[in-house]
Amino acid sequence: MRGVWFTSALFASLAVIFILGYLLITALPVFFEVGLTGFLFGTDWNPTGTNPSYGIGALIVGTLLVTAGAMLFSVPLGLLSAVFLAYVAPKKLRDAVKPAIELLAGIPSVVYGFFGMLVLCSFLQKVFDVPSGFSWAAASILLGIMALPTIVSISEDALSAVPKDFREASLGLGATRFQTISRVLLPAAASGISAAVVLGMGRALGETMAVMMVAGNSAVIPSPLWDVLSPIRTLTATLGIELAEVSAGSMHYYALFGIAVVLLAITLAVNLASRFVTRRIETGKQLFTLPTLPELPVRIPPRVTEKIAFACIYLGTFAVLAILAVILGNIFINGIPAISWEFLTESPKDLGRAGGIFPAIVGTVELVFGAILIALPIGAGAAVYLHEYAKASHITAGIRTGIDLLSGTPSVVFGVFGFAFFVIFLGWGICLLAGMICLALMILPTIIKTTEEALKSVPDSLREASLGLGATKTQTIFRAVLPAAASGIITGAVLSLGRAAGETAPIMFTAVVFSKRFITPDLFEPVMALPFHLYVLTTSVPNTEPQQYATAVVLICMVAAIYVTAAILRRKFQRNLA
Amino acid sequence: MTKRNYQILQGIALAAILLTSVLAAGCISTEDTETISIAGSTTVLPVAQAVAEEYMAQNANADIQVSGGGSGVGATSAIEGTADIGMLSRDLKASEKEGNNLREFVVGKDGIALVGHPSNSVSDLTLEQVKAIYQGKITNWKEVGGTDAEIVLIGRDSSSGTREFFTEFVLDKEDAAKKMQELNSNGAVAQAVSITPGAIGYVSLEYVDDSLKAFSIEGVEPTVENVISGAYEINRPLLMITNGEPEGLAADYLEFILSAEGQMILKDNGFIPAV
Repeated sequence: MRGVWFTSALFASLAVIFILGYLLITALPVFFEVGLTGFLFGTDWNPTGTNPSYGIGALIVGTLLVTAGAMLFSVPLGLLSAVFLAYVAPKKLRDAVKPAIELLAGIPSVVYGFFGMLVLCSFLQKVFDVPSGFSWAAASILLGIMALPTIVSISEDALSAVPKDFREASLGLGATRFQTISRVLLPAAASGISAAVVLGMGRALGETMAVMMVAGNSAVIPSPLWDVLSPIRTLTATLGIELAEVSAGSMHYYALFGIAVVLLAITLAVNLASRFVTRRIETGKQLFTLPTLPELPVRIPPRVTEKIAFACIYLGTFAVLAILAVILGNIFINGIPAISWEFLTESPKDLGRAGGIFPAIVGTVELVFGAILIALPIGAGAAVYLHEYAKASHITAGIRTGIDLLSGTPSVVFGVFGFAFFVIFLGWGICLLAGMICLALMILPTIIKTTEEALKSVPDSLREASLGLGATKTQTIFRAVLPAAASGIITGAVLSLGRAAGETAPIMFTAVVFSKRFITPDLFEPVMALPFHLYVLTTSVPNTEPQQYATAVVLICMVAAIYVTAAILRRKFQRNLA
Repeated sequence: MTKRNYQILQGIALAAILLTSVLAAGCISTEDTETISIAGSTTVLPVAQAVAEEYMAQNANADIQVSGGGSGVGATSAIEGTADIGMLSRDLKASEKEGNNLREFVVGKDGIALVGHPSNSVSDLTLEQVKAIYQGKITNWKEVGGTDAEIVLIGRDSSSGTREFFTEFVLDKEDAAKKMQELNSNGAVAQAVSITPGAIGYVSLEYVDDSLKAFSIEGVEPTVENVISGAYEINRPLLMITNGEPEGLAADYLEFILSAEGQMILKDNGFIPAV
């Protein structure tokens, strides 16, 4: 069995090496033509000018600034909500709120983009009285919101998995609740929380469709550098905007692949840094010595700190729920009136202005379940290998790096890779299978990471008991460990399903058509899909606002249905374990 | 009680397998049908789709699958044969023509309107003014007779056909101002301009509605009629390409789109007939 687990783990890294190799080879001409320094540090991105220039310095700065801003927004809010869900909220409230926040992950990125434009950018423009609200701030806030479900959900899992004894011991020693949370529980869950932050950051780094709608996309470095209301352009937005139109084989095309390579390099750097930090936390070493704060004239009593901290926790959670309510409210109020029986059961007519979206519903179900059927066994297998078998070695480190890289790969890169490899090179044409594989690759890292965290939370005593009773290692894994970890595995699968259902970029080049006369669930035929339908309506067909919102409502309801099922399952699992 | 969990896991696996096989079994026989795929520019997609819908209404066995992906995807798909027809909203590049026997069909034209926020008091611009605005030489609406407000430049991405045409026709191949914001679709530009009081942008004619103010250029309003008559000059061709001579359904479809009936459908959708 070890071999099977190992193969699954290897698969993720091989996929990365393959994709990376493909990107590198395609990008090579630009490195020769422009030179590495000219490409990386040139600040003039003007690929189609009379004198084209291919410097991506401004875009790199843009990516870093936008991601940093997104983390600044989402990590505090996310952690506060996770603490609230894990330790403050009554169980019933938690069971209702957690899936609601996870629902944010299932909102298609195109919807985020248009929501960001209409609500966020107008808001910033009016409040700060600037000519344009399309800005760094808008991009960071929007990406922060999109990273929230990942951060909240996975951190909450990690916090809940801290043994109850810790909490009781700390409280028993007379620590306040806030002292217990900040000094005992958060450090104990540090590994899971940093996994959550890294995954969230990967989401922010790799997001394409939404960020390009709100960032303004001028290829300039904000001046001054902290001008958050300046338009800004990220690497992913450049790919998302330009890759679709550019002609294959031109220098511009090579330069865009160069951008994809750079993006992966940034992801790698971020992940290596975070792994370093995590290891420091886990081994209890101090990361850096905090400068000693000047003595306050009055000592703040713990009871006051406690009050302030809990106020923050409530406020943070409330803010997250308010964001959720505004986004969902906006979509539902505009979408519900356009939903009818016909809309749900018929094929589109008149470019989607009439008729319905039935074939797109079917197509989305096929794509998403296909992707999860591919990704779940491989992902869970890889996690089992990494947690139950692997020893710290170079191979393991390599595999982990591969998985991290995959998690930071922008979704549009999967689409472009899939188009070049499956559609063109293997000659499959645009088809269901190609889309399933692209989506599976995209969600694989989330599944691996969440499964591994779930496995970590299974106490060793369970394994020892099983082995001690004479069970083989395989039996132990299948009968004792995996069932006990099921709740966490389902969290990962659920987040992934939502993400896969809402993504446009990986499927738009590989699997989907705007219309299709006959529904043929053939793996080698194209399908219609809701996010792509929505994408075409929003970008290219005027006067379809009601249908756009209605399509988004249907998509969100489908994701919600998946979540509700998962929530019920998760509760069952947890009850069975208790 | 982990045994129950094990059973539930088995149940989930079983359900997943069942679901897949049910979906697979729902296969409808498509033996008598003829299928072609059309891929490429999302700007041309509405035209291709509108005509395809009418063609399929008249021919029960035809299945015309239209997909997006962009002009680059359209060219590559047609060249590699994974699509029967490629759609482009820009001209074919030398690297795409080279070594391939591509046939080009101009199926229609797309008028491009310069648009601003409905509250904008300016209603007419000269081509010179537009050029100066997009090069960043005019930065305030008061310089062209409007109120004292900064102009927010919104353009299309550098590789889109709309931008390419705009650069060539309006900017005389000179670079646009660096601070120009870029978006990659008609829908996005229209949306952005409609919420930004100081904005100027350019979109396809069919996108002009009450939420935008279309500027007349040198006194000529951007309407389908004015583009057809030649009075309004800012327009560009919409292309379909095939690798070699089109055959079968692809040939029939192209013939239909170029027929009087097909061109009428184009016009009804706000595009300009090619012939």
